[in-house]
Amino acid sequence: MKAYIIKRLIYTIIIAWGVLTVTFLLLRVAPGSPADKYLANVGARARNPSEVVAAIEARYGLNKPIQEQYFDYVTHVVRGDWGWSLSTSMPVTELIKRHWVYSFQIVLISSVLSTIVGILVGVIAAVRQRTLVDYLATFFSFVGISLPSFWLGIMLILLFSVKLGWFKTYYDTGVPLVSVANLKQLVLPAAVLTIGQVAGWARYVRSSILDNLRQDFVTAARAKGLPEGTVIRRHVFRNSMLGIATILLAEIGGVVFAGAYFTEIIFGIPGLGRISFNAVFADDYAVVVAVIFIGAFIVLITNLLQDLAYAYIDPRIRYV
Amino acid sequence: MYSEGAPGRLVRALNRRRSLVFFSLLGVYSALLAIQVLSHRRLLAPTAYVYLYFFTVVFFIGVIPFYRNRRLTSYYWKRTKRSWPAILGLAFIIFLVLLALIGPFFTQDPTAHVFKERNLPPVGLSIEQNTFDLATGKFATVVTPGTWKHPLGTDSDGADMLAMLVSGARISLQVGLLATGIAIFIGSVLGVLSAYMGRWIDNVLMRFTDIMLTFPFFLLLVFIVYIFGANLWIIIGVIGLTGWPGTARLVRSEALSLRTRDFILASRALGASHARIVFRHLIPNTASLIIVISTLSIPGNILAEAGLSFIGLGDPSKASWGRILNAGQNSLETAWWVAVEPGVMLLFTVLAFNFLGDGLRDAFDPRSEA
Repeated sequence: MKAYIIKRLIYTIIIAWGVLTVTFLLLRVAPGSPADKYLANVGARARNPSEVVAAIEARYGLNKPIQEQYFDYVTHVVRGDWGWSLSTSMPVTELIKRHWVYSFQIVLISSVLSTIVGILVGVIAAVRQRTLVDYLATFFSFVGISLPSFWLGIMLILLFSVKLGWFKTYYDTGVPLVSVANLKQLVLPAAVLTIGQVAGWARYVRSSILDNLRQDFVTAARAKGLPEGTVIRRHVFRNSMLGIATILLAEIGGVVFAGAYFTEIIFGIPGLGRISFNAVFADDYAVVVAVIFIGAFIVLITNLLQDLAYAYIDPRIRYV
Repeated sequence: MYSEGAPGRLVRALNRRRSLVFFSLLGVYSALLAIQVLSHRRLLAPTAYVYLYFFTVVFFIGVIPFYRNRRLTSYYWKRTKRSWPAILGLAFIIFLVLLALIGPFFTQDPTAHVFKERNLPPVGLSIEQNTFDLATGKFATVVTPGTWKHPLGTDSDGADMLAMLVSGARISLQVGLLATGIAIFIGSVLGVLSAYMGRWIDNVLMRFTDIMLTFPFFLLLVFIVYIFGANLWIIIGVIGLTGWPGTARLVRSEALSLRTRDFILASRALGASHARIVFRHLIPNTASLIIVISTLSIPGNILAEAGLSFIGLGDPSKASWGRILNAGQNSLETAWWVAVEPGVMLLFTVLAFNFLGDGLRDAFDPRSEA
């Protein structure tokens, strides 16, 4: 187990380093100097742009040799010095501190909801295999995983906000986070994220339960006269949960983060996705890079945790 | 898969020289490309090369093995036919391909903006608009019906929706087919190589695949487009060059089990070279798996491009479904159909490929049937 943990840790560090290096290289091979991006923000108003570029390059160390720049870059990122956001005039870390909670709230709500609903739907569909309930669940989860989350969001806005007028079309940041009003304006965004995930969960849980239903120990449990409910709850469900529990982490890391990115943009929720979106159009590259780091590291860490959880639950994995 | 039917003479002649024809065709394309790059003379459009490579590879690796083995192909077809969603999916995909190929000849110019015909609803619907009447100098409520000139209506710039949807179908299919083609090609070659060579090559390739698998590529895609600017070919290239790790793993495990089978041993005993075994036996025998993976990974790639265009990072010169959707979000109150129509197309396309892929998987692999 120890060797396995160390191996996974080394992998994670290699990939994190890879993300840093790839972003650094991409920024350097990009057409034009990174100073141009600053210039677009500040220098465009200056009388002598080339002087401004030189000043910016000197200030950010862009005139140093490339290996020194690389070293500076990595040490800065590791130390948590992520640069200055020009479009909002504050350190990037401060910007993130102010906005992460908006992303976190929808991720939290939708993860909890979708896990519960998805597992329920999956279990019921599997237990009632080849009935109308199963066919409906299978069909809707198929449609659910095929629905583009950004389109679903717009359709919900169109139906519930524009036509029916039940919800506001835009997120209001003036409302306190822990309040009924905030919950109400989170209904649609959370629904978008939840519907996609419920579909994924239901499919996964259904096939996992069906796999387990075919095992010999289920036949044995039934043969010794256990009621069907107990067989499902104590034997089938518990065995399926082992695999399902580990998926949860990857789900939150990858799927939810990507989904939240679109959801925030559509509903105007000022989370990390939205600030990165704004930064792209304001050419505020420090923020763009920072959000990419955060996304990458969330994915990496959840992947690492998933692997470790898997190895902890299922000892066979460690020896592969 | 390799029990032969009774092929005609032409087929037999083609069979014997298949690898030769295949590699010389690829060689000719590469030579042309090299001449074009070195001499700065434009022999063919750059996109033509992508298509030439793509269709040659698909034809020789995807179509010929199935054509040579018609008995098994008809068996697969019969099994696929049993699933009606798969057939519906296939029908929609054929419709989409026809739409993308011949649609542009019948529709209007998707970039033409007619100010007077803004916000026209689809045929059969009508909306109330508040317009300023120049003649009377008053605001008046006018009921605007949809016209057959714009069957699916127009957007807030007065561009024809039908024409834009057709042009969007083209882009989605390009991304779906080409990006997936690149990814599947790399993945299959690496997977087969890894399984066949074994030992340290397998080790190195699979560790690299593991790393690629955990790399957050959508973010990388956003970043690359942000830096290099939005261009459809960059998007296709990035999706293609980063989307292969899953394929490599699946193909590797399939090839691993094939490698120990008797017919591989027999052909090696007959003195077949490594290249021959890989290209004539391993790759054709993984063809059914590769087709399933391709079909199921097309939707993800189409959605990646659509998502990118939706957040405004798509190719600005192309009317992609994602971009129309983005424009539609801003005119929800005046012209809801602009947001609805591209999304319906996107949903149907993704569903069609998913349905077909699922049906094919069940047909090709009896074990997967639940």
